Amino acid sequence: MNWINIVWPMIASSILTLALLHLIVWFKQKQQRAHLFFSITAISVAFINGMELIVMRSVSLNEVVFLLRWVQVPLLTIWVAIICYVRCFNTGRLWLAYMVCILRVCALILDFTTGQNLFFSEITSLKQVAILGGETITIAQGVLNPWYILGPVSMLALLVFMIDASITLWHQGTDTARRRAVIFSCIAFFLLVSVGQAVLVNVGLIHSPYLASISFMPTLFVMSHELSYDVIRSAKLAQSLQISENELRRSEQRMELAMTAAELGLWEWDIVHDHIWCTDQARVLYGINKTERIDFERVLKTLHHEDCEPTRLTITTLLAGCDNYEGEYRVILPDNQIRWLAVRSRIEYNHHQQPLRIIGVSIDITKRKQADLDMQKQRNALTHLSRVTVLGELSGALAHELNQPLAAILSNAQAAQRFLTSENNHLDEVHDILQDIVDEDKRAADIIQRLRLILKNADIQFRPLNVNYVVLDVLKLVNSDLKHRGVTVNSDLSSDIPLVTADNVLLQQVLLNLIMNACDAVSDTDCIEHRQIHIHTQWTGTATQVAVKDYGTGIKKDDMEHIFERFFTTKAQGMGLGLAICRTIIDAHKGQLWAENNNGGGASFYFTLPSYYGETT
Amino acid sequence: MNASIPTVSIVDDDISVLKAVARLLRSAGFNTAIFSSAQQFLDEHNPNTLGCLVLDVAMPKINGLELQQILTAQNSELPIIFLTGHGDIPMSVRAIKQGAVDFLTKPVNDSDLISAIQNAIETNQMTRQERTKLNELQQRFAMLTPREREVLSHVISGKKNKQIALELGIVEKTIKVHRAHLMEKLQVKSVAELVMLSERLGILSSPLV
Repeated sequence: MNWINIVWPMIASSILTLALLHLIVWFKQKQQRAHLFFSITAISVAFINGMELIVMRSVSLNEVVFLLRWVQVPLLTIWVAIICYVRCFNTGRLWLAYMVCILRVCALILDFTTGQNLFFSEITSLKQVAILGGETITIAQGVLNPWYILGPVSMLALLVFMIDASITLWHQGTDTARRRAVIFSCIAFFLLVSVGQAVLVNVGLIHSPYLASISFMPTLFVMSHELSYDVIRSAKLAQSLQISENELRRSEQRMELAMTAAELGLWEWDIVHDHIWCTDQARVLYGINKTERIDFERVLKTLHHEDCEPTRLTITTLLAGCDNYEGEYRVILPDNQIRWLAVRSRIEYNHHQQPLRIIGVSIDITKRKQADLDMQKQRNALTHLSRVTVLGELSGALAHELNQPLAAILSNAQAAQRFLTSENNHLDEVHDILQDIVDEDKRAADIIQRLRLILKNADIQFRPLNVNYVVLDVLKLVNSDLKHRGVTVNSDLSSDIPLVTADNVLLQQVLLNLIMNACDAVSDTDCIEHRQIHIHTQWTGTATQVAVKDYGTGIKKDDMEHIFERFFTTKAQGMGLGLAICRTIIDAHKGQLWAENNNGGGASFYFTLPSYYGETT
Repeated sequence: MNASIPTVSIVDDDISVLKAVARLLRSAGFNTAIFSSAQQFLDEHNPNTLGCLVLDVAMPKINGLELQQILTAQNSELPIIFLTGHGDIPMSVRAIKQGAVDFLTKPVNDSDLISAIQNAIETNQMTRQERTKLNELQQRFAMLTPREREVLSHVISGKKNKQIALELGIVEKTIKVHRAHLMEKLQVKSVAELVMLSERLGILSSPLV
């Protein structure tokens, strides 16, 4: 039995199988080039294997000459492929790599230009040598080509390249890098063995078959091992990916369940391609068909015309670098119903700060909005009611307040008539009278204007204003009523208070309420000293504080917690709305309203208002 | 200020009303004095001034009604006309009960105010005359000796000289002398006049001694 005829083809077929496997792997994943270079190496080795077999079996001199010349081609491809393989792992010096390649190419050129091939200038004879198992093989004998040294030199260069690459990897220190360092060293070692043996055979120092292809086997196995390590790892990754994919799917299901339950619509807008992906729930929320393709304009088209442009403007402004978009807008459904949606989203950018996508959720807030609106209406109605109530209480005082200028006007006018009908010349006096009439008329108009402001059910307008002026305005209104009830007001208004952001009319109403309450508290006492109200404004360091202090009987301990509740009153005629509304108003101004009993009797009501921009005037 | 010329005092804390009313009254020929608070009036007003007081009700510290009480307590005869911004019935009743001559509301028509003031001044003048007369009578009455007062009480109760002499235990002639003296001191000529005078002095019904 000729065992070489069996072993060599077996080796070739197994090498080709490996090559095929890795070629397929490369074909599936083109970016994994190491597989390709491995395949090239393996195929080249298979070629060498075939050539070895033919040479060992050859009896023709020409055939051996031909094959020994052409074997340099697969050797070149092996060299280049191994270098590329190593470079695939991002290691090895580039200039070394080029040098190795150039040496090998030179060897190939000299192989075809000098002698019969790179080994022999001339092959003189073929020698039949007996080897293991009674086999005989052919070995070429002849004059060595002086250039044959180039082969071992290029071999050594490749070794240097490999060892250098291994050292570099080893110094990287990671497990993977060190493993590769060992593997590259192994490759280098097996290369040395395989090529060295061939050289020794050619030189005639040993008599054995060419074992290059067999020696290459370990090299190939080591290379393949490293690659298969990646394949195994990929498999493991794929497996864990599968697991996490399952988990992801489950968590997606959970998320979807939660979102459906919460009626949340999830969406993602790919800004670059202007394409919006969204859940079915989101489509329902915006009233968009399940199949329709959605882009930004399509979404804007669903919005209420008043919200459309502001939303576009807000979003395009935010895309300049903000991380979040939050908003509320109305959507017009296909059946023309209005739906309020609240949106919260996150904007993602690439490293050039260009917006890539927005991921967000939308939720139906129609009910809340409706409730808000109802609440606002109720609040407005209540505020108006309280104004009317306060006004009812004030009407007597206001009548008096208006009566004063009217009385002055009438008396002045009738005096003028009398002066004019008398014989003496009273023109100077009449002139003064007319001036006074004009002044009084303005005074009356002023009172009416103030009254109209308080009564008007206008929208709330927050403006920067000085609390002191509001206090003085209110005092002008209630002045007569206080006098009528025999109540004196002392005001101590600090000039060093900042402006506050407030609605003038609402603030007047609060003050009116507090002052009238204080007035009610003290007007029944007989003691003149106790029929006093003290109004005090000051800056506390954090807010502007207004205090209305009376010297009445104070607030009962049990009542203290309830006085700000609606429909709680201690007055026979009261509705129990005044203080409740005051608190609502002060809350709306982001301030606080509270009451305390004074040490010396009576009660004090305090309210604070945050300053406008936090600056002191 | 001359106490004999009637002067209208005006008290109102609203300066413009105060000025206007004063002007109106001056146009109608009255002398006026203006006060912007009850306290100022109490401090500065001469109680002997003839005239009347035009008084606002709602004023800080001492209001109109309180001023009225203070004046009543001082036995002032100054007639008071209230002029108020919002007078209600209980307030006006209280004012009138305390002796106010009128209760007017602002804005007031000139003729109403002027006639009220004229009435008040007349009343004041009459009271003043009455009072002067009474003072005179009281001064005359004060000149009588105790015995003459005794005789007077008997005379006005309609007793004859004889009865008086009998009751006092003195001779009739002495009674006649006393009687002549007291008639002369009281400046009356008949018993009828004496009775009227006694009535005004308030000594008719009560025993004199």
